[in-house]
Amino acid sequence: MSVTAARLAVPTGRVCLANQRSHSLMTARWRLIFLLLALLFVGAVVILRIAWLGVVQPGPQQMTMAEALLPARGEITDRNGVPLARAFPARALWYNPDALGDGGTPLVKSVREVAERLAQIFPDLDAGMLEKRLASGKPGYIRRRLLPDEADKVQALGELALELPTERDRFYPQGSMAAHVLGYVAADGHGRVGMEDVLDERLLDPARRGEPSALSIDVRVQGALEDELRRGMLAVDAVGAAGIVLDVDTGEVLALASLPEFDPNAIDEEGQKLMFNRVTNQVYELGSTFKPLTIAAAIDAGAINNLSRRYSARPFRMGRFTIKDSHDLGASLNAPEALIHSSNVVTARIVDDIGPAQLKRVMEDLGMNERPYIELPARGFPIWASGSWPRLRAMTVGYGHGIAVTPLHLAGAYAAMVNGGIWRPATLHKLGPGEAPKGRRVFKASTSARMNQLLRMITLYGTGRNADAPGFRIGGKTGSAEKPGNGGYQRSSLVSTFAAAFPMDRPRYVVIAMLDEPKGTVRSSFQRTAAWNAAPVVGRVVPRIGPMLGVKPDSTRDIDLTDLKPLVRGGSE
Amino acid sequence: MTGLSRRRKIGWLVVLLACTGLYAALHFRVNAVKSEVRLAERQVVQLEEERLLLETEFLTRSSQQQLDDWNEIEFGYKAPRPGQYLENERQLAAYGVPRGVDAPQPVRVARSDVPETGSEFETMVSPLTGRPIDAAMFGPGRPTLRTVARAESGPARIPLSAVIDGSEQ
Repeated sequence: MSVTAARLAVPTGRVCLANQRSHSLMTARWRLIFLLLALLFVGAVVILRIAWLGVVQPGPQQMTMAEALLPARGEITDRNGVPLARAFPARALWYNPDALGDGGTPLVKSVREVAERLAQIFPDLDAGMLEKRLASGKPGYIRRRLLPDEADKVQALGELALELPTERDRFYPQGSMAAHVLGYVAADGHGRVGMEDVLDERLLDPARRGEPSALSIDVRVQGALEDELRRGMLAVDAVGAAGIVLDVDTGEVLALASLPEFDPNAIDEEGQKLMFNRVTNQVYELGSTFKPLTIAAAIDAGAINNLSRRYSARPFRMGRFTIKDSHDLGASLNAPEALIHSSNVVTARIVDDIGPAQLKRVMEDLGMNERPYIELPARGFPIWASGSWPRLRAMTVGYGHGIAVTPLHLAGAYAAMVNGGIWRPATLHKLGPGEAPKGRRVFKASTSARMNQLLRMITLYGTGRNADAPGFRIGGKTGSAEKPGNGGYQRSSLVSTFAAAFPMDRPRYVVIAMLDEPKGTVRSSFQRTAAWNAAPVVGRVVPRIGPMLGVKPDSTRDIDLTDLKPLVRGGSE
Repeated sequence: MTGLSRRRKIGWLVVLLACTGLYAALHFRVNAVKSEVRLAERQVVQLEEERLLLETEFLTRSSQQQLDDWNEIEFGYKAPRPGQYLENERQLAAYGVPRGVDAPQPVRVARSDVPETGSEFETMVSPLTGRPIDAAMFGPGRPTLRTVARAESGPARIPLSAVIDGSEQ
């Protein structure tokens, strides 16, 4: 019994063990299968999720703080860091009729009510027009560039169809000031016309646009120049005006104004027409302002070695033309008197002494035969006679006719004449100390010193007296030229210019003021020449800008004129 | 043995759970801090944009043209004239009036040069305590004329306690 039991017990125990083992194995296998299935399921979910993120969902719009703070377009500042153009996030008002998404009316309130409420927020919008616009059910901008409190008021209307999308906006805090220098940004996000165009790549480059781009412009000088030019232009009813302030030692342009101006904040059709830059793009015959350059060329070449030498001032014939002065200046004049009274005849005779080739070479050295050197894209090509000049051509160029250049050409030439004789290209970029271009020598330093005396004498005794602001030692030359038209010069339309430098005892800045087609008005004593309209503009600009530029008015200082005073009438006493 | 093994298993499980819990807590904490940082960054960006907007509005309202109009129409300011500037002592002296014929002799006082290091005046002391009245005025940290004149904000005023420091001249 016990043996049987023992025999039975062993196989039974073994069977149980085998069963248990196979059961455990099965359990383990099932667990493994469950685990694998779970892992497969998780893997499939992950892959599906990745596919969904990659294909269906748009990418997340996450930006780092540095990226968010980087302006969409770099800032442009003046030489002292005052912002002239900046990009900042602004809100627009967009009408989206499908915003409610229920296929019903786009607005919760009545169209009339919403239109009236919007007209209350924006008083310049017409409620009637707005009502029609909202009723038409077409999406579109109602207004660009909202102020934050205006956006809050629109939000308070509670209309989902009035959306306020954030947009990157280019804004010019100074309004129309320096518009021709700055230009504007078109709808495609790229600059046009001015430095916005020139600096476009730099202003959009993510690596460089965080740093503002400094121009050579000084906003205070620009403001004063534009203000006085505008006043001068309106006083004589001129069609346009141009002005420039140039640093004679570096070529930096401190102010550049072309009037009438446009508003870069709101470009419209009228603004498009006014984008023409009179300083860099339009060429004019600048008349008698060329006479000092001619005299400088003559002194430099040794053709004038005695300033007391007298030349006949009687009109003379040159081929088919008679060279004459605007009025009788007596029998003879010396070179200082010729400048003071602006004599065409004597200047023409001096040109004859220099010779056409020499005058042409000096004009070429002054850059009169090529487009002006400045960064702006719009630069006018001078009307310049190539080849060798005949005597008549040289004579007319000597007093500023038969050659048409931009006011910027003239400013560069005057800077070279007064700064010791070095011509430098003009620039709108701010230059650091020691960065001024080397330039090229056009006149001897002694010629330049002599010309400083002569220019000062013109404002003391001659046609530039209206520009002589007390204490600022201004020297300059007037120029009034008839504009060329059909069949010769038009006597009725003038271009009057005053080209000046200050202070003449150590010239630092050249100031040019030009008025296009001035009329004779009460303010100009019914005169149309530069002495009565352009010269007073310079006389008012310089006292405003001088102290800002470090030139203090001082009536105890002036350039030494003792050797030249006895040569002119009124100078000897 | 089995009981020990079970306890060990439970122990491991507890440790695992504790670690998981700690990890979860840490994870939540990290995410909370991250989200706070993101929020702060967003606030910084928002404030910066607001500042930019306000600054631009201020610049627009105080544009050069506007300032010119105010200066001319509201205040009637004019460009400075040469009479408003003095170049040197000679020009200042030119404002003096020559002494009249019968005018009395100007009062002349004797003075002797003092060494540069020594103070010209004795320190003013309080009659009660015998200590300097204003330690700030006469102490080492006194404001000098130059430091006062350099201050950017506030009205252009030189406080009485500002004295010219000989070493800064």
